[in-house]
Amino acid sequence: MRHFFLKLFRRRKLEQDLETELAFHREMGGNLGNTTLIKEQAFDLWRFTTLENLWRDVVYGIRGLRRHPSLVATALISLTLGIGANTALFSLGVEFLLSEPTVTDGRSLVYIRFNGNSHADRKSFDMALDSHVFADIVGEHEESFVNYNNGVETRPIFSTFTTKNFFTTLGIPMQQGRGYSVSDPDQVVVLHHHFWTQHFNADPNIVGKSITLDGRPYTVLGILPRNFRTLVGFGFSPDVYVPAFLENTYLAVYARMKPGMNLSQAQAASDAIAKRIDETRPAAQRDQHPSALVDAVSGIDRLKGEQVLVLAAFFLVLLILAGLVLLIACANVASLLLARASTRQREIAVRLSLGASRARLMQQLLVESLLLSLTGAACGLGLAQLLNNALSHMTAPTPIPMRLTAESDWRVTLYAMLLSIVATVACGLLPAWQCVRESFTHDTRSTARMFLRRAVVVGQVAVSIVVLSTGFLFVRNLLRTSSLSPGFDLQHTLQSQVNLPPANYKEQTKIALFADRAVNALAALPGVEAAAAARIIPFTDSTTYGSSLYFNGKDQPLHARFNWNAITPAYFQAMSIPLVAGRTFLQSDATAPELPVIVSTGFVKQYLQVQPAAAVDQTFYWGEPVRTATGAQPSQRRAFRIIGVAANTKNMTIGESESPQLYEFLPTIRDVRDRLRFVVKSATPPATQLKAVDEALRRVEPNAGIETRTMFASIGFAFLPSQIGAAVLGSMGVLGLLLAMIGLYGVMAYSVARRTPEIGVRMAIGASASSIFKLILSDAGRMVALGAAIGIVIALLATRPLASFLVDGLPPHDPVTFLAVLVVFAITAALASLGPARRATAIDPMSCLRHD
Amino acid sequence: MPKAPNLLQGTLDLLILHALQRGSLHGYAIAQTIHLLSDEVLKVEEGSLYPALYRLELDGAISATWGLSENNRKAKYYQITRKGRKALEEQNQNWTRLSSAVQRVLSRES
Repeated sequence: MRHFFLKLFRRRKLEQDLETELAFHREMGGNLGNTTLIKEQAFDLWRFTTLENLWRDVVYGIRGLRRHPSLVATALISLTLGIGANTALFSLGVEFLLSEPTVTDGRSLVYIRFNGNSHADRKSFDMALDSHVFADIVGEHEESFVNYNNGVETRPIFSTFTTKNFFTTLGIPMQQGRGYSVSDPDQVVVLHHHFWTQHFNADPNIVGKSITLDGRPYTVLGILPRNFRTLVGFGFSPDVYVPAFLENTYLAVYARMKPGMNLSQAQAASDAIAKRIDETRPAAQRDQHPSALVDAVSGIDRLKGEQVLVLAAFFLVLLILAGLVLLIACANVASLLLARASTRQREIAVRLSLGASRARLMQQLLVESLLLSLTGAACGLGLAQLLNNALSHMTAPTPIPMRLTAESDWRVTLYAMLLSIVATVACGLLPAWQCVRESFTHDTRSTARMFLRRAVVVGQVAVSIVVLSTGFLFVRNLLRTSSLSPGFDLQHTLQSQVNLPPANYKEQTKIALFADRAVNALAALPGVEAAAAARIIPFTDSTTYGSSLYFNGKDQPLHARFNWNAITPAYFQAMSIPLVAGRTFLQSDATAPELPVIVSTGFVKQYLQVQPAAAVDQTFYWGEPVRTATGAQPSQRRAFRIIGVAANTKNMTIGESESPQLYEFLPTIRDVRDRLRFVVKSATPPATQLKAVDEALRRVEPNAGIETRTMFASIGFAFLPSQIGAAVLGSMGVLGLLLAMIGLYGVMAYSVARRTPEIGVRMAIGASASSIFKLILSDAGRMVALGAAIGIVIALLATRPLASFLVDGLPPHDPVTFLAVLVVFAITAALASLGPARRATAIDPMSCLRHD
Repeated sequence: MPKAPNLLQGTLDLLILHALQRGSLHGYAIAQTIHLLSDEVLKVEEGSLYPALYRLELDGAISATWGLSENNRKAKYYQITRKGRKALEEQNQNWTRLSSAVQRVLSRES
């Protein structure tokens, strides 16, 4: 091999040497005989021949393809779309699932969940830190908000609170400045690149200046690089990083293992820490088997857990479907090349009889398709890059900031190369093989080629049925989703997120007071029909409780799981959620001996099994009785009374089935939190009220971070998965259908041309135009029917894993979808074969007969 | 990636290597040497000599340098390498074994 390359570069010199040597020999009186043969043998020896042949094939291939610009254009468009779609999806999948966090030596990092809790309290964190089994431990609280004041107004921004050793221990590179360290003061901040460019116009002098967060000056220490990837992954990217100096911050625990430590040792060490943490707790709250969950942060080990598996499955399905579309595109190109092969019949036959080897001819034909698919892959890679660039400038409209910076790295390029090789084989092998094989069997060639082309079409139809039915399934999913109601009014409502300055709002009474004043201020606005405060707006957040409820003084608890919310009285009115029974909260309820709650119809149906009206006035205790030495002390438990039953709403996804809900009265809850939401129902279009609502809230608390959006804008992302699914899969289905129909048209047109004499004879002996028409259509019909039958069977199997992406009540084997796909297919197939069929009926029998 | 030499090719290789044992020679001289040493029985076809030389060079059994011939012309001189000597020894043994075996067969009556 080394010789090969050496000689390759010295080829000219070798040739000259050879000439000189042979000339010398001749001069000395030697008789050389066939000089050319010697040269050829020497060249063969130096392996120039293979290379030269290849080069000749490339040149010949380019020349040949240049003569068929329409073929090249069709093939390139098909391949570019096919490979581009595949590569873009692949790079997105790689970025989403396989991207590594931007840290130094991610392999030695582990994520520890003590007793299965995603976040540990400060005491547990400190115990883990003090154990010194790990090289170092950092903590972060990802989903935090701080109020950022840009000099004009205050807005909540997404921040991550971390321990101060976060940047130094993880070894996070900085674009500018530095990360904070243990020796820094509390009020420092590190900006994410996107926040820096959006809010500071990428000001290069920002480092060292201070910005206002939560009403206090924070010094900017550094800026993270543009492609910084967080420990959490999945494109999660907060706006700023701030040291978590507050006492009550819960932290996700990440530990750097000591050199030589492996995962199982880390597991054992963490279990020991979990045990010690558990021992500090009161006896009643102790765990039976204290343990810790230890997970790798980088590498393939990160991809555990059900959620990730579902996502991975989704990407896999997307990739497979995109691969199928590419296959259809390849089948088209193969069909075109097959047609072209028939025009070179004579050329191939002559070359074979002159002694060209079949392998040599195959090589030449394959080089042609390699040229096509390599060009297609290059264009496809470009297309994928364009798509990715467009994507990386977008923020997913999810409640948690997500940005994917997909880049064409070596994996993506490799994938595109692989695709192009697959495409070469898929496009070229069949025509090339057919071409070379045929040349000796003259009488059967036409039938054989026709059979092959028909087989290709049947395959195409089958594959595109699969792609189309998947696409259609998701379009139907989207339609179903859009027609689904979330259970509350999206069109006439606005919602505000308000982050109160934490220092001034430490008690629930203060927060409730603010809520009261704010609701009054909002209700007084012109055009506002109702206003209410709530802890949670469905879809933007969810708090589910799994609790034991002791109903009507029973000893046996009811283990209930429900979505929780805390609201003010006008919530149901503002959200247009009907009250089915009972009443909403009254201000006087705040001091009632039994705390009032409102439950949803779903709650009543699932847990009480009575009519909604019968649920009203039922009472229950929430939580386990606190056992002391003297036995149960029910007086320490809180008693609740159901005062009303409201209609169900959706909470997490639009497609979910009815889940139980429980509302508490905002002033009565014990859980203090300085984040509140407000809902406003407006008689005028909600977008016109944005400013008024914003200002009204600011007047009540000037230091709060406030973000007001229309309800539709703020929960639009709930429709996102089905929209993305429908858009991507639907367009792929259409693309597949289109490609398959082009293939069908080509084959039918060719078949009609081939059968012209036959049709002429038929017409001459009395066949009517309509019977010829029928003949051609039924020919096409047979191919489509066979392909469709195969396709439906595969599609039924292939769509089964998609069940988890579809809304309730839409099974993957949805008969409407498959029926519709068949109808669509039948119509388009009829359209595709109509042209050739018409042409067949227009054949003049006389000219046909004379021709033969 | 040497091709498996057939008997004739193998013999030519052996002869070339043998001719080069005593010192470097150019292509024409190699042919002459073989011709003379065989008492003018063997005549090396030039058409097979040069390809054989290039193959041996590619295999590393011989090396080549450009020099001046006795009549002051630029000529390519071939030398045997250590690898070539080893090959020569091996092929020599093979040849002896083969030819004596053939001889034995032919000298006996069937």
